Amino acid sequence: MDFDLSEEQHALQEMARDFLAERWPTERSRQLLDARPALIDDDVWREIVEMGWLGVAASEEAGGIGGDVTTAAVLCQEAGRGVLPGPFESSLVAAIALDRSRDEALCKNLLPELIAGSRRVSVGIEEPGGLYGPDAVSAEAREEAGVWRVSGHKILVPEANEADRLLVAARTSQGPALWCVPAAAEGVTINRMDRMDAQSCGEVILEGAAAEGGVLAGAERGEALLREVYDIWTVLLAADLLGSAEASLELTRLYACERVQFGKPIGTFQAVSHRLADTLVEVEIGRSLLFAACLALDEGRDNAAPLVSAAKAWLGDTAVAAAETAMQIHGGVGFTWEYDVHLHLRRARCNAAMQGDADHHRDRIADYMGESWVAPVKA
Amino acid sequence: MDLEFSKADEDYRQRLRAWLRDNLGEGGSANAVMRQAEKDPGAAKDPLAGARAWARRLHEAGYVGLAWPKEYGGQDASFTEQVICAEEMARVRTPPLINTIGLTIIGPTLVQHGSEEQKRRFLPRILSADDLWCQGFSEPEAGSDLASLRCRAELDGDEFVVNGQKVWTSLAFLSNWMFLLVRTDPDAPKREGISYLLLDMKTPGINVRPLRNAAGGQHFSEVFLDDVRVPRDNLVGELNRGWSIARSSLDHERSGLSGVIALEETLGRLWRMAGGLKRGTDQALADAGARRALAQHWIEIEGLRHLGYRTLSDQIAGKPPGPGASVGKLFASEVRQEMTRTALQLEGPLGPVAKRSPHVVERGRWHAAYFDALAHSIGGGTSEIMRNVIAEKVLGLPRLQDD
Repeated sequence: MDFDLSEEQHALQEMARDFLAERWPTERSRQLLDARPALIDDDVWREIVEMGWLGVAASEEAGGIGGDVTTAAVLCQEAGRGVLPGPFESSLVAAIALDRSRDEALCKNLLPELIAGSRRVSVGIEEPGGLYGPDAVSAEAREEAGVWRVSGHKILVPEANEADRLLVAARTSQGPALWCVPAAAEGVTINRMDRMDAQSCGEVILEGAAAEGGVLAGAERGEALLREVYDIWTVLLAADLLGSAEASLELTRLYACERVQFGKPIGTFQAVSHRLADTLVEVEIGRSLLFAACLALDEGRDNAAPLVSAAKAWLGDTAVAAAETAMQIHGGVGFTWEYDVHLHLRRARCNAAMQGDADHHRDRIADYMGESWVAPVKA
Repeated sequence: MDLEFSKADEDYRQRLRAWLRDNLGEGGSANAVMRQAEKDPGAAKDPLAGARAWARRLHEAGYVGLAWPKEYGGQDASFTEQVICAEEMARVRTPPLINTIGLTIIGPTLVQHGSEEQKRRFLPRILSADDLWCQGFSEPEAGSDLASLRCRAELDGDEFVVNGQKVWTSLAFLSNWMFLLVRTDPDAPKREGISYLLLDMKTPGINVRPLRNAAGGQHFSEVFLDDVRVPRDNLVGELNRGWSIARSSLDHERSGLSGVIALEETLGRLWRMAGGLKRGTDQALADAGARRALAQHWIEIEGLRHLGYRTLSDQIAGKPPGPGASVGKLFASEVRQEMTRTALQLEGPLGPVAKRSPHVVERGRWHAAYFDALAHSIGGGTSEIMRNVIAEKVLGLPRLQDD
């Protein structure tokens, strides 16, 4: 029984936090709101690549360090805290997807290039229609004369405009799965979408676009891979939301200690301090859920999917509430462009609505409860 | 990171499960043990004979006083064994112990601060449930601001003479001993003039008046103390040093994992109830709002459970207590309340139907559970006090002005 990050994970977390505080000051994210899209500057990107962050959860053969989802989550938590834009998280997800596909050609060629920063790969799953996830995929894939062709409409594909390859979800009669499509292939149209926090994402229209190779992970395991990737991406976003919520709380905590009104620091007033105490409770419950979900994924537990949903639903709500609390407690200055509060609020609002919003995940948990109403965890 | 218990811990769990199977009687309830004891000819004089028998049986098997040292009849059990024991008992819903206050508050306090004579005298009788204890802390003018208590004790030779009033004293009318805080130096700053006494409830001058609570039941009392004489030997620790002793027992860390099992049971019951209730031609369980409310409770319970595992991991690793205890108390009481609100909402138009009516849902259990849940954010430190603690101790916000 040791329900805490390992020493290595703690060290990585500290290192990432220090690196981002120094090399990615929040001022940079603020500037990029006026110079959209927000992308990591080339020199910082090179350093991130050199530190091996993109391969943190990929196998060693592919140039990764063989870490697990928990380790990847630690980095995403810091990305959230530091308001780091793409393509870090989407590259991390793409590397995990390629690695877990065990597709020989892609793992031998594309994955090492992705980890080394010389190719960019993104993942497109969501579609218009207001629903989320693998079950809502309606894009289709057909095999014609030995070539897989994908047709459909993807939205909110992170850094789609900057990507060399896209891992897109489509469906055959056997169910949904992922295919790897070159962004430059004939039949691929990419239009910019814009996020409230200026992060880059795109709309991808596929009209019989030829895929590179076949179904990722093969026909047998293709749907399982897609679901696994969706869950991992979801939990990594939950980690980002945790970092975001922590940043909002810390900003507000410091402000409540310093700001004096009526002759006292405002943190002495219970209307202020109790709201922050409630935020702390929500953050700590969220951290517990996030660790639980990561561990369940890493150990392949049966209850991994509902725990992922729990972490995402809870932390989406928590990060948004923490940022709104930050804005309220900061008063007038919290509503200025110069303060960081709106940076966290923008990011939290966006990420809360990505990879399934809270209601989507509550519905998924309710389905799980209906299917298997048993004691959820036997530790 | 892992959530595994060791082989030795799992063996402990299996032995405990087997013991519970053998000792709970038919239908997974300990009532059999208790009924048997109540039939005993000697039981007529003791209305608690059944409950005492159950407590004693647990003690004989070594399942109470887990954290206490062996030399005073405890088990010297590890943190994980304590958690496993609490979890397993909650899982099979063993009857509540009548001497919980003794086992969890005054017992550990005496282990830490009591004299050797006090330990030898009181600890065995707590374990065997021969003595039942109540806590005399709160007063009419000293609730959340406990340190402003006014109940006076003056030394007269080898005895203290106690005068004052205590209130919200749980189970006072059943207890034969009380531990209480009294003011022994009215001129000292308020936290420095308080002493910690042990009081035999049969001493002349004590008047216990049970109060009926908002749920209609009897659980707590007012206790009036009029020239009550307490031997000086019954002082715990030093004179005027009682406040820090009381604080140490209030700070007694718990992982809260047994409470999680109870909440999980409650959620299961809610889910089944929603499956049986109608919304027009559908089940209440088909309603998206109801499903999401129940899923939210699942999330909250898993959050509490894994917060508990973090607290336990910190304890095992010997780390200073993290935010777990105060966060857990505050959040658990809120979850509990929300769940009973969800229950009453699910009942819809049948929600108001009272216990003895033929239309009542689940024999009115949710009305009782609702009231009971509301008490949880008041007793044992109000939620407002928990928020103060979190704000000051965890977040490091400036302290409220206080003398």
